[in-house]
Amino acid sequence: MANEKVPCLRIAAGVAVLFFLAIDTEPAFAHKEKHTSDQLEAFQAVFMEQVKIGDLLFHGDAETQKKLNVNLSNTGTACAMCHPYASDTHPHEFPKFQEQMNEFATLRNMINWCIEKPSEGEKIDPDGPAMKALEAYIYWSNRNSKLDPGRH
Amino acid sequence: MNKLSRREMDQELGRPGAHPDRSTVLTRRTFLHKSLLYGTTGAAAYGLFFPLLNTIDMAFAQSGQSFKFAWISDTHLYPKNVNKRFVEKATRAVQELQAMNPPADFLIFGGDMAQLGDPVELQLGAELLKEIKIRKVFIPGEHDWYLDMGATWNKMFGAAPWTFDHKGVRFVGLDTVSHAEDFWTSRKLSAKERMGHMATLDGTLGGAWAAVGPEQLNWLSSTLAGWGKDKPVVIFSHNPLYEYYPPWNFWIRDWRPVQEILQPYGNVTNIHGHVHQVLYNEIGKLRSIGMLATSWPWPYAPEGVPILTRPMVRVDPGEPFDGVGWAVHTIDSGGRDDAQYKMWRKDIFAEAEVDSGTGDNRNQVLSPRIADRI
Repeated sequence: MANEKVPCLRIAAGVAVLFFLAIDTEPAFAHKEKHTSDQLEAFQAVFMEQVKIGDLLFHGDAETQKKLNVNLSNTGTACAMCHPYASDTHPHEFPKFQEQMNEFATLRNMINWCIEKPSEGEKIDPDGPAMKALEAYIYWSNRNSKLDPGRH
Repeated sequence: MNKLSRREMDQELGRPGAHPDRSTVLTRRTFLHKSLLYGTTGAAAYGLFFPLLNTIDMAFAQSGQSFKFAWISDTHLYPKNVNKRFVEKATRAVQELQAMNPPADFLIFGGDMAQLGDPVELQLGAELLKEIKIRKVFIPGEHDWYLDMGATWNKMFGAAPWTFDHKGVRFVGLDTVSHAEDFWTSRKLSAKERMGHMATLDGTLGGAWAAVGPEQLNWLSSTLAGWGKDKPVVIFSHNPLYEYYPPWNFWIRDWRPVQEILQPYGNVTNIHGHVHQVLYNEIGKLRSIGMLATSWPWPYAPEGVPILTRPMVRVDPGEPFDGVGWAVHTIDSGGRDDAQYKMWRKDIFAEAEVDSGTGDNRNQVLSPRIADRI
């Protein structure tokens, strides 16, 4: 009989522990608090700051390139010369097979190809701040375009 | 933010307190025009191409002597040590033009010889064009102008407007670039900064700078007054003389009075640069033909591409000589004129949406840039 009581006690103890754990961990499973307007404004400000930096890079601003230690062109040209309003960049169509590169490419691949080939600049870190800013500007300029990945 | 309408863009980009641009107000009169231009743009963008010929016909009523003239523009030269490709492309156009046999009667250079108005750039352009032995006439582009407000350009290439008659055709060269509102004085911008803003197609400070202006309107009116209403007139301008896409100054802001002046004349052709693309339009009896650049092609604007334009192909950005070139205009003895694009590729016009410079953009929605406004 004594041997039979031991597992019962162990089970009871286990249930009790789980019960208290459940009470203690409840906040961890709760939904995040509602966003305040200040938070939303701050999120937007972070994004638009990147858009602005990307816009400056896209339009060949020398100071911004120097600050981010990038050289997007060695021919005096800027991305915006072929892509006013970031037109014809088609971020909504990536990833896709990119004919000029002869490979399946992301937007970041394409940005670096453009920097290196037509602009004769120096490739940038695909995960670096300049790439993120360029990407932010291109996406922002093309927002509301219909998502159509893979389209040639 | 959703895509802005032209009127909303005008309000957003305009200076505080400024009246909206009149061209963005839809009146009955402009409704007809806009219906033609915009209502059919979608059709063009979705691949419904019209069966225009490889060349564009300008059927002049009056028969006369056959002759050719040539167009080169938008070379956008930097100093030679900065950008060799633009020099190579301008050189190729010059060499091909000079090799014409029989030669063209004259060359019209349609503006934007320089990129930043630098006298070194203009001097380089003059040196390249020296190889051309036929008569040369010039009109300025905004890139030639805003470093020193046209001083070097006018000294080297002569001031516009001008006119001359040649074998039964009255030719007119206009200045459509020198009438920007002064945005630089109050901001205390240097000449280089002013030029930099004017050299940015999607910049906002320059505003609606393209115009003929009141003085030139009077001049144009009086210049044509003595010319027969059915006799051919060819007008050269850097910007198109109609409303295509104002945010990039693919227009002149005073296109209405210009068209009123031209309205009585039966055979008027406007040949313009600035757009760096194949473009064709007709408004009433005014025909407009957009010319290629030698430097680089612009994408078609997000709206306003005339339905009569047979779009050029999507070009390869990895091939510097693709999508650019020059043009030969031939007026034959029967009064027929062909504008022939000398684009350095086999196929100029798109036959399918997937190859089209406008069909390519079917899912694209663009918004005006922001950095120079915040």
